Amino acid sequence: MKKRASIVDYYYESMYPELEVLEQDRLVIVSKLKKAAFFLFCCAIIAYLLLHQNFHMEFLEAFMLSFGSTFMLFMFVYRHESAGYSMLFKDHVIEKIIHFLDPSLIYQKHRYLLENVYQKSELFIEAYDRYRGSDLVEGLIEGVGVQFCDLHVEKKYRTKNGKEEWKDIFSGLFFVADFNKHFQTNVVVLPDHAERILGVVGSWLQSMNIGRGELIKLDDALFEKYFVVYGEDPIESRYILTHALMEKIVQLRQKSGKNIYLSFVDSKIYIAIEYNKALFEPILWKSLLKFSYIKEYVELLSMMIGIVKHFKLDEKLWSKR
Amino acid sequence: MQTFFIVLGVILLIVVFMYNSLISKTNQVENIFAGLDAVLKKRYDLIPNLIASVKEYMVHERETLEKITTLRTQALQTNLHSHEKIALDKELSSILGGLMVAVENYPTLKANENFLHLQGTLHEIEEQISAARRAYNQSVTDYNNAIEMFPSNVMAGFMKLRRKEVFNIPSQERQNVDVKNLFQK
Repeated sequence: MKKRASIVDYYYESMYPELEVLEQDRLVIVSKLKKAAFFLFCCAIIAYLLLHQNFHMEFLEAFMLSFGSTFMLFMFVYRHESAGYSMLFKDHVIEKIIHFLDPSLIYQKHRYLLENVYQKSELFIEAYDRYRGSDLVEGLIEGVGVQFCDLHVEKKYRTKNGKEEWKDIFSGLFFVADFNKHFQTNVVVLPDHAERILGVVGSWLQSMNIGRGELIKLDDALFEKYFVVYGEDPIESRYILTHALMEKIVQLRQKSGKNIYLSFVDSKIYIAIEYNKALFEPILWKSLLKFSYIKEYVELLSMMIGIVKHFKLDEKLWSKR
Repeated sequence: MQTFFIVLGVILLIVVFMYNSLISKTNQVENIFAGLDAVLKKRYDLIPNLIASVKEYMVHERETLEKITTLRTQALQTNLHSHEKIALDKELSSILGGLMVAVENYPTLKANENFLHLQGTLHEIEEQISAARRAYNQSVTDYNNAIEMFPSNVMAGFMKLRRKEVFNIPSQERQNVDVKNLFQK
């Protein structure tokens, strides 16, 4: 992995001239949005006064109607104005960072992992109604085939009032790579919420999980604190989850500070890192000319591209060479 | 009278549950030991080839090679108890580990493609053995807990179940395996 000093140099030498141009676009959009916000705010006040005084609406009703509708209008304007900027940001920032970290990788901002990859991972067995994503990165890292993208999988449900709403099944980064060992059975590693909250009762409940395989108790206390493991074969599950790999998984969990799901299926490793926001979208209010802002994207992408080295997926066992 | 039968029914259910649970844990230990036995056998099957390919190079390790052959012969006897197999595996693992370190002193052997292949296969089997040992230890721990904890210890006493021995996991198995170094010529 390239060092921080060299990314700083790269930022100032290769990215900065283009970012200065993009920064001008950003400032224009921000200025437009500020004007739109001011104009719509004035409209909301006028609408509120009209509704409250001329149409004798209650305070709350008039307030909700006027400010609610202008807010919706503002969001429409925001999306319309920022859409083009978002695409340019991905071309000039995200793609550049990826190629800096590994020039052989291919980045496609509109594409994402196929649904069958998600299904094959067996990480989320809940039925879903909407599958969306973006920012697919793929290629060979140290000779290991890798794909990852931003993924958003949702389920439709009805509230008690009969209102239709969407619930996240998974939102975050989804990573798939060739694993360095052959194995026949599947292993799923999930965040351990039940045992952490309910202790022994949680552990008992986990063993009753019908949708999954057998509960595998592992000999690493810290790993057991963070994760629960289901597998079809207790020996093969431990063949995959060696002490070294468990330690690396815990380190990734601690580094990301997010819930991590892993599975080992058909000689592949699937990793899902939960984030509750679109990861490669720009923040319109932040200046591109500050490295601290770009650094967040660099760190996230370094972490993802670094998974191959971190888990030593390139150090294949004899029979996989 | 009705309460008496309800209490009796509940006690009977608990007894059945404890009995089944102990049987399931005993079977689990046996199943996993059978899995471990299978991978240990894979290693024993590999030893004659390994000895054949190293003996002409490793002239100073003749004693070690003879010891490995003896241990293999002992381990392949069919009437061994699990604790005897565990002891033999421990001794063989230690001697094989020493032999692989000694390989460093024989550069021509390290350049031999056939030996490298055997070394790679042995390493893979060692990983499988390590996984099987860990699975076995976990099943034995679950079993030992069940036969020692109240109230299942009472039932275990009636069933004449005895505490089983676990493997000592060698400290090097807890360290990161450096495959690159392992295959460096």
